[in-house]
Amino acid sequence: MTGVAITGNPLRDPKKIARKYFAIAVFAAIILYIGKVIIVDGTDWARMGSVSEVIDTMLFFVPDFSFFPATVVPLLETLLIAFWGTALAVVFSLPIAYLAARNITPFPWITYPLGRCLIILSRSTHEIIFALIYISALGLGPLPGILALASRSLGFLAKTTSEAIENVNKGPIEAMEAVGASRATIFFFGVMPQIFPIFVGNVIFQLDINIRRASILGLVGGGGIGLMFAEVMQNLQYDRAGMIVVGITTMVVLGEFISNRIRQRIV
Amino acid sequence: MTAITDQAYTEYKDADRRANIIKFVAAFLFIVFGFWSVEVLNIPIERLLGMFGRLGFMISENLFPPTMSYVMEQRVLDSIIETVQMSVLGATIGTLITVPLAWFAAWNVTPSRSFLYPVARGIIVVTRGMPTLMWAMVLVAIFGFGPFAGMLALVKETIGFAGKLMAESVESIDMKRVEAIKATGANEFDVLFFAVIPQVWATWVGIIIYNWDAQLRNSTILGFVGAGGMGLYLREQISILEYHTAMAIIVVIIGLVVLSETVSHHLRRRLY
Repeated sequence: MTGVAITGNPLRDPKKIARKYFAIAVFAAIILYIGKVIIVDGTDWARMGSVSEVIDTMLFFVPDFSFFPATVVPLLETLLIAFWGTALAVVFSLPIAYLAARNITPFPWITYPLGRCLIILSRSTHEIIFALIYISALGLGPLPGILALASRSLGFLAKTTSEAIENVNKGPIEAMEAVGASRATIFFFGVMPQIFPIFVGNVIFQLDINIRRASILGLVGGGGIGLMFAEVMQNLQYDRAGMIVVGITTMVVLGEFISNRIRQRIV
Repeated sequence: MTAITDQAYTEYKDADRRANIIKFVAAFLFIVFGFWSVEVLNIPIERLLGMFGRLGFMISENLFPPTMSYVMEQRVLDSIIETVQMSVLGATIGTLITVPLAWFAAWNVTPSRSFLYPVARGIIVVTRGMPTLMWAMVLVAIFGFGPFAGMLALVKETIGFAGKLMAESVESIDMKRVEAIKATGANEFDVLFFAVIPQVWATWVGIIIYNWDAQLRNSTILGFVGAGGMGLYLREQISILEYHTAMAIIVVIIGLVVLSETVSHHLRRRLY
């Protein structure tokens, strides 16, 4: 590299700095434009009225704690929906993880892309959309909610599990192959014991997220506390809606706390 | 010699039998719990059998093929653009609020452990716990229909989602640099700008991009409760049982999500 004169600090290349500031300016201009479109043009400020009126509306949502006993049963229902949704997801995620793990998939050309596609489809579709599809086929109730949660979280479980399978220690698998074990035997006794702690951690993580997801399924008719929330919002009983929000938030925060504790002990 | 091995063998057998009994009891309890939940949730078991047929019919007849021309209508296209705009604005404003919160909520460098730390932690925990769609409904009741309420819902979501990740990344920094800068008599702001941010910068940018990706996902559905974006048309089409057009919107949503995931994946890969 003789003959190349290094002038100044290469990290302080003026061209690079200029490009950086240009990018920042462009981004800021885009944000300002979007802000104008959404906050100024897209909002009906006249309807909202003055600041004090907005604060008055907010005060409607101050929780009515005497409503709490009525929310207990729907909250428990929500927990049950979350639990069974996760349980179904566990059952269905294992075969998909088996297909989507590059090292053990049976027919790499067909089953690997198939497994990946299912994972992407499951991860990129919102639980509400799944719930709508299941509800239109099965009618209202917790059952489509459970299926929607299962479809939603099996992608994450299958993805993390298949990645864990890809990083598995080859030794035990080769040993089992050498004694002529079948594919199923290898999967359950060679692969599963190695990925089990990771898998359990992810299942608990999904359970905790599914509690949050289950609470909104009722808004489209999927059962649980969301149904009650939609009802009280329609009746303009905002103080009760406030209570439901407080109840759900408490439940989700508790769930997250417990799940973090358990996962820390496992890993 | 044989006595010892026999004893070990019996002990092993006993342990094995005990483990089997525990497994059996656990499986039994699980099944009882299953029946009990079916009872409590009022799940019509007899409908389960007909489920696959109806689901298959639903997917093959009602959902496919999606009427993609519906998406090309001007109002729907506008709502799709609005969805993306909402996600960008919500993620940006949310990030601006989250950065100081993450600083306050990191135990190792927080300016005040007795006051700001618990307040910031509380805000992050509570915003994480609230489901976005319900929060959006509350905001719609307060601020009226339209993307403004949706944007505020995304700001809340960003605080909960990015706030936790950012605070955690600050908590795992190397404290030696913080101490070195403190030793020169620096104040809290100097510590933030010269010891904390240089260390977490790359992680934070990754989190910010990932967060935008997550907010785009959320924003596609916010229209369901009237908080702006394409969700409104999804709800409209489903409530009038126009499944083919509804499926077109679902296809666009999945396309947007996959696109944003790809963009965020590539941006993050370029960072590291």
